[in-house]
Amino acid sequence: MTASLAGPSGVPTASSDDLVVVRDLRKYFPITAGILQRHVADVKAVDGIDFEIRRGETLGLVGESGSGKTTAGRVILRLAEPTSGSITFDGRELTGLSRGELRPLRKEMQIIFQDPYASLNPRMTVGSIIREPLEIHGIAKGKEADHRVQELLRLVGLQPQHANRYPHEFSGGQRQRVGVARALAVDPKFIVADEPVSALDVSIQAQVINLLQDLQQQLGLTYLFIAHDLSVVRHISNRVAVMYVGKIVEIADRDRLYDNPLHPYTQALLSAIPIPDPDVERRRKRIILSGDIPSPVNPPSGCRFHTRCPVAFDRCKVEVPAFNEYEPGHRAACHWVEEHGGRAPDLVNGPAVLS
Amino acid sequence: MALLEVKDLKTTFRTEDGVVAAVNGLSFAVDPGSTLGIVGESGSGKSVTSLSIMRLIAQNGTIEHGQILFKGEDLLKKSEAEMRKIRGRDIAMIFQDPMTSLNPVLTIGEQIAEATRLHLGLSKKDALAKAVDMLRLVKIPAAEKRLRDYPHQFSGGMRQRVMIAMALSCDPAVLIADEPTTALDVTIQAQIIELMNEMQQRLGSAIVLITHDLGVVAETCENVLVMYGGNMVEYGTATEIFESPKMPYTMGLLESLPRLDQAGSRLVPIEGQPPNLLHMPQGCAFGPRCRYKMPICMEPVPLYDFGDGHVARCFLYDERAEGQKTIPAPSVPVIANSAVAKTPQELAK
Repeated sequence: MTASLAGPSGVPTASSDDLVVVRDLRKYFPITAGILQRHVADVKAVDGIDFEIRRGETLGLVGESGSGKTTAGRVILRLAEPTSGSITFDGRELTGLSRGELRPLRKEMQIIFQDPYASLNPRMTVGSIIREPLEIHGIAKGKEADHRVQELLRLVGLQPQHANRYPHEFSGGQRQRVGVARALAVDPKFIVADEPVSALDVSIQAQVINLLQDLQQQLGLTYLFIAHDLSVVRHISNRVAVMYVGKIVEIADRDRLYDNPLHPYTQALLSAIPIPDPDVERRRKRIILSGDIPSPVNPPSGCRFHTRCPVAFDRCKVEVPAFNEYEPGHRAACHWVEEHGGRAPDLVNGPAVLS
Repeated sequence: MALLEVKDLKTTFRTEDGVVAAVNGLSFAVDPGSTLGIVGESGSGKSVTSLSIMRLIAQNGTIEHGQILFKGEDLLKKSEAEMRKIRGRDIAMIFQDPMTSLNPVLTIGEQIAEATRLHLGLSKKDALAKAVDMLRLVKIPAAEKRLRDYPHQFSGGMRQRVMIAMALSCDPAVLIADEPTTALDVTIQAQIIELMNEMQQRLGSAIVLITHDLGVVAETCENVLVMYGGNMVEYGTATEIFESPKMPYTMGLLESLPRLDQAGSRLVPIEGQPPNLLHMPQGCAFGPRCRYKMPICMEPVPLYDFGDGHVARCFLYDERAEGQKTIPAPSVPVIANSAVAKTPQELAK
């Protein structure tokens, strides 16, 4: 297989199938010091990422803490201002739009937050929480809005009479359903779901995952599903992108990524997830990485994973690897893979000795 | 004889809304050198169980009855001074959150040395030397230098290593780990689990691992205890629990999990919500959410024995339930005589 089917930049051209297109997106948070608030450094939370999300699909975005996945989600919705780069939504460039210009677009892009305890106003009834976006966007008011709220509550598996209750009267799973209803109120095309089930108990997680999948089918939604749980991401996503310290290291169709991970970090991440089956666990060999996740303030030079990578060589320390396409739609940023014609290193049985 | 034996433990808490029984009649035993996983969701009573064993229940909590036998002696009869000698020396604990369970104003070295000075009577110099050994054991690089660092200078995974070093510094016979990897990233979790397994092989401690993560249990535990609504609903070897679960709650948990090695098919959630401890359902606590629910489930459920130590608290296996089943039960033998059901005391051998 030849490296880079998509030209030297490794970035394929966008098509009209793509609802969201992200190009070289960066978000730096400045660190200041002293009374003059001198700019001393940056937290490079997102440091040049490229991907696209197709209409009607779920793109899973996975990574560990500090990988920048949550920041990426917020910047794409312009809930945080990008430092540079481009975001196109349904053919329109979002960067550079004023708040007023952005407002009508907000109807089409919504977010579901991780913490169902902190993301609902405790002083508002569930009905008024769901109703608020309807009024802000002038979609419905009065009786019509009441009707819409009841319809939304039913849609997410709650009772219409729940509209009069306060968030504290609900369990975590039910609150997350309220969060989903609020996001759906304005009839969006695109939803960023930021760790929507991480705070929930296992038996409740499945309820919310099924709900999100049913709604996607019914309403033709497009999801960016951000999570650290790779089992959940495999279940819900069509394609998956893996982030490590501000960069996407690999992106592919779900099964391709899980069955044939190219990047050593993706391999290690997948092998670190325990599988709830003692028989499988006994047969599995695990890749244990040494060291911690580096800080995004001073990310390692070259490939950011070289400090923990079992197959790193000299080139990895100095040169940032290109994000090449090795199979259709399967891109990875790794010098080892590039120099071995798109082959993934075998980290379980060698060639490298693991520390 | 079991190393640690819990018999008919009941722990209650006074709350503004009334008294709740967080743990209600729990019995189990742990053998030396083995790992027991306690699995359950929030509110199932798994953490209160570990705190009851350590006698570290909050002010508004009471251990109503039961026995906690460590090497045959009842910890519930010990004075606070005696408990202090046991905690950290014979039974040590690793808490979930490595960010808040270390003292921020003491160096790591001082904190690890404190345990060995108190329990083993080491001099300050020897205790610090021992602390360096322990830090090396848990693979903290430049151990001598890091000894003088404060907790905030360590990452989450490193802090959890420090917690493990501290817990193991007196060679405890029992190590209770309450969600030791929940706050950590997966690649760091894999490091910590491997470390705990190595430590166990080296020191031969018994481990009680409390977790909600069935994957971690499958990876590390020989035996599994499933808790629901304050009591054990199933107990058995990990293979038995994962391959032939008997209690519908255990089955539901396994079905509702997306698995990394399997894609696609729709998840089967457990409907409804975990029980409110203030208003526990009558009979089986899982009844209101159970797809097999029968009229008999309103009665108190005994434990049924499936051989080789596998027990489950469910009427599906009682002859009295014949004719009450509305949907076919999973293919498991119906126990002909309900007299085989054991009381919790018998169970704890």
